[in-house]
Amino acid sequence: MDIASAIFGFLYQIGDAAAFLVLASAGLAVVFGMMGVINMAHGEFIMFGAYGTAMAVRAGLPLPLAIAAGSLATGVIGVIIERLVICRLYGRPLDTIVATWGISLIFSQGTLILLGSSFPSAGTPLGSFTVGAYSYSWYRLILMLAAIVLLVGLWLLVNRTRFGILARATIQMPQMAEALGVKTRVVYSLTFGLGAALAGLTGGLYAPTMTMVPTMGSTFILEAFVTVVVGGADVFLGTAPAAGALGITKAIFTSWQGQLTGQIALLVAVILVIRLLPRGLSGWILKERS
Amino acid sequence: MSLLQTIDLNKSFGGLHVTNHVNLAIAAGEIHCLIGPNGAGKSTLFRLLLGEYLPSSGKILYDGEDITRLKPFQRVARGLSVKFQVPGIFKGLSVRQNLEIALQARFKQRALQAESDRLLHFLHLESNAVDRAGNLSHGQQQWLEIGMAMSLQPRLLLLDEPTAGMSPEETEATGEMVISLNRSGITILAVEHDMDFVRQVAQRVTVLHFGKIFAQGTVDEIIANDEVAEIYLGEPTYAA
Amino acid sequence: MSRLREFFSRINGPQTFGSGPRFWIPLGVLLLIAYVFPLFSDDYTIGNVAYFFTWLFMAAGLCLMWGYGGTLSFGQTAFFGIGGYTYGIVTLNFGADNGVTIYALVASVLLGAIVATLLGYFLFYGRINGVFLGIVTLAVSILLERFMAQTAGPQWRIGEARLNGFNGMNGMPALTIPWPGGDISLPAGAGFYYVILSILLIVYFGIRILVNSRFGNILVAIRENPQRAEMLGYDVRRFQLGAFVIGSALASLSGVFYTCWGQYITPSSMSLTSAALPIVWVAIGGRGDITASLLGALLTLAVFQTLTVNGAQYALIMMGVLLLVNVLTAPEGLILQLFRFRFKLSPRSQ
Repeated sequence: MDIASAIFGFLYQIGDAAAFLVLASAGLAVVFGMMGVINMAHGEFIMFGAYGTAMAVRAGLPLPLAIAAGSLATGVIGVIIERLVICRLYGRPLDTIVATWGISLIFSQGTLILLGSSFPSAGTPLGSFTVGAYSYSWYRLILMLAAIVLLVGLWLLVNRTRFGILARATIQMPQMAEALGVKTRVVYSLTFGLGAALAGLTGGLYAPTMTMVPTMGSTFILEAFVTVVVGGADVFLGTAPAAGALGITKAIFTSWQGQLTGQIALLVAVILVIRLLPRGLSGWILKERS
Repeated sequence: MSLLQTIDLNKSFGGLHVTNHVNLAIAAGEIHCLIGPNGAGKSTLFRLLLGEYLPSSGKILYDGEDITRLKPFQRVARGLSVKFQVPGIFKGLSVRQNLEIALQARFKQRALQAESDRLLHFLHLESNAVDRAGNLSHGQQQWLEIGMAMSLQPRLLLLDEPTAGMSPEETEATGEMVISLNRSGITILAVEHDMDFVRQVAQRVTVLHFGKIFAQGTVDEIIANDEVAEIYLGEPTYAA
Repeated sequence: MSRLREFFSRINGPQTFGSGPRFWIPLGVLLLIAYVFPLFSDDYTIGNVAYFFTWLFMAAGLCLMWGYGGTLSFGQTAFFGIGGYTYGIVTLNFGADNGVTIYALVASVLLGAIVATLLGYFLFYGRINGVFLGIVTLAVSILLERFMAQTAGPQWRIGEARLNGFNGMNGMPALTIPWPGGDISLPAGAGFYYVILSILLIVYFGIRILVNSRFGNILVAIRENPQRAEMLGYDVRRFQLGAFVIGSALASLSGVFYTCWGQYITPSSMSLTSAALPIVWVAIGGRGDITASLLGALLTLAVFQTLTVNGAQYALIMMGVLLLVNVLTAPEGLILQLFRFRFKLSPRSQ
């Protein structure tokens, strides 16, 4: 009984960490993996989703709808940003980093000025259950489920819908797509918007579990970057297994030495992976396959 | 005596066997052209010789020395030089600075100035000396790059489609320059598509097909070879 | 004699702006003002300008690595921290007498250089460049910050120096010059100001000479076309490593001077936000030229401080806006654009 509950506890921690990484990085993976754009404002999109959700909840919407609303609103903001800024910087990755960092500052400080240093959050719903000596949150189990649903949904979107196929074609061979009549500008905007919406979704999902401060994006951003870099350019072959592997790493180190060691282990992992597998996990997997 | 020799050179990318048991020998002092249809593996072979790719198996000998494991800059130090298909120049820097960077390994202050003046004159770029290299015409950029490759006083010059994107006049002028370089003692290996250029300069020609050496010989022999024509066109043709 | 002349002639060259009297006379006047102004000013202002100067070494280092070498490192703040903490550890353990503070300064910069060599070797000889290099160096900075932040507690000490976690190390002595008849201590004030200004000038002219030399030529060649640079026979990794070590060591020097100025150093100087700041300064000034970078950094620091004093929240937002506007309208840098306009030069040709 004891061992079983210890195992459950460990698996729960891994699932929790991996889900966090999947949800944190999905939006960034779409934008970086598919478009090669480094979005330093990714954390702020997450924050917008969280704030949007919290505001929707205060306005009376039930949580799932509020999350959807927050996500949608963030997606729209993403499209606007792409139109105004990002589209001028394609092919200039370092300039994109600098520009999106500027946007990140504007967003986080702007929110601080407009809405104050904190915002009342919805409480974590659904309560907890016990296994063995510990109690676990139902909601965080739901988040693990959400991560899986998100991956499946994204896969379907990219591989089975018209938009997904057009997006992939445009990103791989933009001139060809243009020649075939695809409005590439629209595709780029929508893809970036999708990335933003996914970030907003993450923010909304985690909103009930966190204190809402304008800089809450920083909790996610480093882990998101780490996962995307370790995973490589392919969202499914890379980000998902990377999240799994890193989740396990983090869980092991956290239970051994605590939160901070877990975070440090992640950063060390990314440094090692970049060195050993310069194209990330997915690049390595693709190479092995052929 | 071979200046450059490959011994059973192979390169595979995953399941794709791009360079297939290539045994190539370039004699010192000759102009040798490497031709073949698209996808024959010319580019890969070129990069193997440069050191940008490491072979899956086989050896590369330069002047008798095994250079298979050497990095590109080490091969350059031994007298290899290269001119790429896409002009490999420093677009943001001035024309003169481009040449000086190529020359400064061997020349000091005053001699550097004199030598870069000489090269500017040779390349017909004197009036462009202070211009941004990226602002030159395509042909001028190609010439600048040839100048930079030459300034290393190489023994072996590798040219990757030197006439790509050039007009017939520019192509012929490039051919003249290549012949003149060869007369001053530089061995030349050129990957080319343009048969006029090959006819103008080549002393020996190697035909690559599916990564293997398909045929070798003088220009006339290759042109008269029906099988070679076939792999290009898919049907026999008659020499014009 | 002519070799010396040749050495100093490199103060002007293709990689730096300004080679004639139209540049040097105004700059000379500026330097004169810099040397003379403490005579007419109060301790607080002098200390404040010295504070700005402490950051300029880090900016110079980033300009060298990024502007001239094409390598965007987010690790400047990590080396800043290494410099500051090392100085603190050495001086808290060995005091300020007998020139220990000077040894501490040298040791801190040296340690920064050693760490940079190791990290740089790992990066450049592992063929890691571009975005990934940025991410690794950012990870190193944040790794250091997070590690240092949790060193509260008495067990975290090196000799007499407690690391003190989030609150950072403080109480270390100011720069002290050994002098017969009484050591001269230089806290933030006129003495410190002159020392730092003089060293800044040495670094400035040193970088001008460096980037106009053969090393500098090859460095910008690598920035423009690394493949071609290699094909001209240069070991690209070695030059990138060289620029990285010098640039990072300069960041360590910034850290040391900052610690000397304020007698404290905290992990927050290595945070995510802090890591962005040198990029902001150098980007706004103009990373392609050392003079533009330093002037831009100085200007941005002054503006930032003014904004912070008058409305802290708006300072960062203005920084963000400035950064965005800069990238979209004048990616080469605002000061650099101004230079070009004033000197009426076409891009990158002199």
